[in-house]
Amino acid sequence: MAKNDLTTRNLMLDSLRQYAKNRISFNLIREHDAKNEIPLDILKEMYDHDVLGIHLLLIPEEYGGLGGQTTEIYRICEQLARIDLGIATGVFATFLGSDPLNVGGTPEQKAKWFKKIAHENKLVAYGATEADAGSDLVSLRTRAEHVVKDGKVVGYKITGSKMWISNGGVADIYTVLALAPGGPSWFIVEKGTPGFTQDAHEDKHGIRLSNTAGLAFDEVYVPAENLIGLKEGQGFLQAQAVFGYTRLMVAAFGLGGGEQAVETALEYAGQRIQAGGPLSQKQGFMLKLITPHYIRFEAARAYIDWTAKQLEVNNHGLATEGAIAKLYATESGNKAAEDAIQAMGGFGYTKEFAVEKIKRDVKITCIYEGTSEVLEMTIFRGRWQEHLKSRGQYYLNQAAEFDAIHAQNPQVGADSVALGFRALARVLEDCRVNKLTRHQYVTFMLGDLISEIEVAAVFTHECANKRVTEGSRFDIASLCTMARVNARQSAFKVASEGLRLVLGTCPNINTAELSQAVNLVGIEDKMRGLIDDMDQVSAKLREIFKK
Amino acid sequence: MNIIVCIKQVPDSTQVKVDPKTGTLIRAGVPSILNPYDHFALEKALEIKQKTGAKVTVLSMGPNQAVAVLRLALALGADEGVLLSDRAFAGSDTWATAYALATAIRKIGSYDLILCGQMAIDGDTAQTGPGIANQLGIPQITFCSNVDANGNQVVVKKLIDGGKQILEADMPVLVTMTMPVDYAPKYPSFLAAHKAQEKTIYTWTAADIGADPGKLGLNGSPTRVDRIFPPPARQKGEMVSGSPAELAAKLVEILKKESFVK
Repeated sequence: MAKNDLTTRNLMLDSLRQYAKNRISFNLIREHDAKNEIPLDILKEMYDHDVLGIHLLLIPEEYGGLGGQTTEIYRICEQLARIDLGIATGVFATFLGSDPLNVGGTPEQKAKWFKKIAHENKLVAYGATEADAGSDLVSLRTRAEHVVKDGKVVGYKITGSKMWISNGGVADIYTVLALAPGGPSWFIVEKGTPGFTQDAHEDKHGIRLSNTAGLAFDEVYVPAENLIGLKEGQGFLQAQAVFGYTRLMVAAFGLGGGEQAVETALEYAGQRIQAGGPLSQKQGFMLKLITPHYIRFEAARAYIDWTAKQLEVNNHGLATEGAIAKLYATESGNKAAEDAIQAMGGFGYTKEFAVEKIKRDVKITCIYEGTSEVLEMTIFRGRWQEHLKSRGQYYLNQAAEFDAIHAQNPQVGADSVALGFRALARVLEDCRVNKLTRHQYVTFMLGDLISEIEVAAVFTHECANKRVTEGSRFDIASLCTMARVNARQSAFKVASEGLRLVLGTCPNINTAELSQAVNLVGIEDKMRGLIDDMDQVSAKLREIFKK
Repeated sequence: MNIIVCIKQVPDSTQVKVDPKTGTLIRAGVPSILNPYDHFALEKALEIKQKTGAKVTVLSMGPNQAVAVLRLALALGADEGVLLSDRAFAGSDTWATAYALATAIRKIGSYDLILCGQMAIDGDTAQTGPGIANQLGIPQITFCSNVDANGNQVVVKKLIDGGKQILEADMPVLVTMTMPVDYAPKYPSFLAAHKAQEKTIYTWTAADIGADPGKLGLNGSPTRVDRIFPPPARQKGEMVSGSPAELAAKLVEILKKESFVK
């Protein structure tokens, strides 16, 4: 059957929205949040084929699923996050838990387990994290020892423990990473297998509607056929193969959570009359607490969508792009939720309104599937290699492309993107010459600057091509204004932060010379009209989200 | 039995505002939905299909984006969709729209029951359904809260002032449906949405249905919209308080003052 087209995607999103409207009230969410309880009946109902069958998206068609493409999965993730990030995490854990099977399973394994997940509506959990092994899986302690019969390996005995496993206490099927004699490997363990127990549900800061629990394995026997791929030592490769993809899903969580918070604050601001008019008409209120966040959301949306489309062609990989998407979108969502509380004042600080809960929830997106700092390091490593390989030309070449875009379309901030790329190229080169990347802090910050300018570049590029990213509620003219604001600020951040890093670690560099080399004045000069542009975006936001 | 359901894509009226300066609708960023009355009519058609095995065809007129509501209908269980899409249809009022839809229905061919929503929530005219029946020269029953049909007859529950009528009619007949106040439209599962891609949606132009261009669009529309404006905000009322006796006295005084009683 054909892949899902845009109309089908939008129809699925409508179905999900309608389901949430009818079944997942704010009161239900609030009660479960207070009780720290997963709404398991809701999750099971969302898996029901006749209601939504949401888990079918990740299952290939030949095994009774919908073979969802990256685009529809990220858009569903964004919508789920708007509903509740705890419920979203419960659904995502099944997606994630099935991934080792998707990447490494044999056809027979896929047939057996995917059919079970699809038709019996099984919840899945992904068991990788341990006390000493988070993003650094090398320190893995859980072991899988051979069980030999008649000289042949017939099974494994798994011993060890996992922590912070989403769906840990409620899943039916677990994919578990353990160290086999041949190296790290994924195993499928079913609930109820002797020796396998689940700890109590964690008492978390947020996503309290998601069950999180530790797992304990005491010589848990699994048959050899439960070794994913039937070959030991493939575990890390299988785990890493999906990072680009899984991180994109969490990026969509950050986006969805952030949007929901800001839109709640904006709705409030339209009704809150202060000093003779609604807050949403006050320039300072909008430009400080609302508008910048929405500009970043649209940039994030363009970048996530662009990466999703690439992943659909390349299938797996794109680890750097997935990391950029997640870092940018989740940090933006988190900051936006923080400001949404501020925007609503005392109301925002109470549990009567959703923003306080969203703020607690969205923080997790900066932590799970790779903390922001791990992502900064990943992004830095990926692009540092490009910088070295190209002898410093990597970003200079892109700068030239954006000069050409600017010549064709001077309204999308491509000139600022080009300036930002040149500044970044210069900062990276200074880091190379002066060996500044020996400072771990510099590598983190460079990862952040790279993500900032690369997201701005994609947003500008899409706008230059008159492409409105699906799911956006803005017209192309408004998106161009947003891209212009975003490009100018990103270039400024790259140049000014870059200067701070280089001068802060290398005192013998001439400040004026470096400032000139990154063309800080040229970047600052592009700021003319910035506030007018932001006011225009505010006006559009008021129009679109007016109740 | 063949059932045709006429459906329309409309802006979600809960989110549409009128620009007080220009008098035009602000459509920016407003999501589109299937007109809820049509959605209800469709669900009723699908219930009849469940019982009788009737074929359900959904028909809509609109721009290409309107394919979304046809797809929704197919995902919910309709068999086939037809979209009338052509610049020639643009600007049609209810008269010209009824002509276009009736002409398309003739092209679809055999039909026993035509279901329409009572009205669309963007125009609130309630004229298109009756217009189609008139064009086709078939009987119509309007404002029904329920409809049931076997192969030969329909039985409807029609809402009237102070009660309801149960009516029987021979087919072919056109029925327009109202909807319950607490109506929550059904949406399809992901699997149904996915499978609906395999069902056929025909796109027909004015030429395809052999429509007379002079009867379509602005030329074929006798209605002219003078202006659209939001109703003026209600004046603040006067609150009076006191014991029942005092209130009665005050009310009489006000009524006399305003010359409602002498």
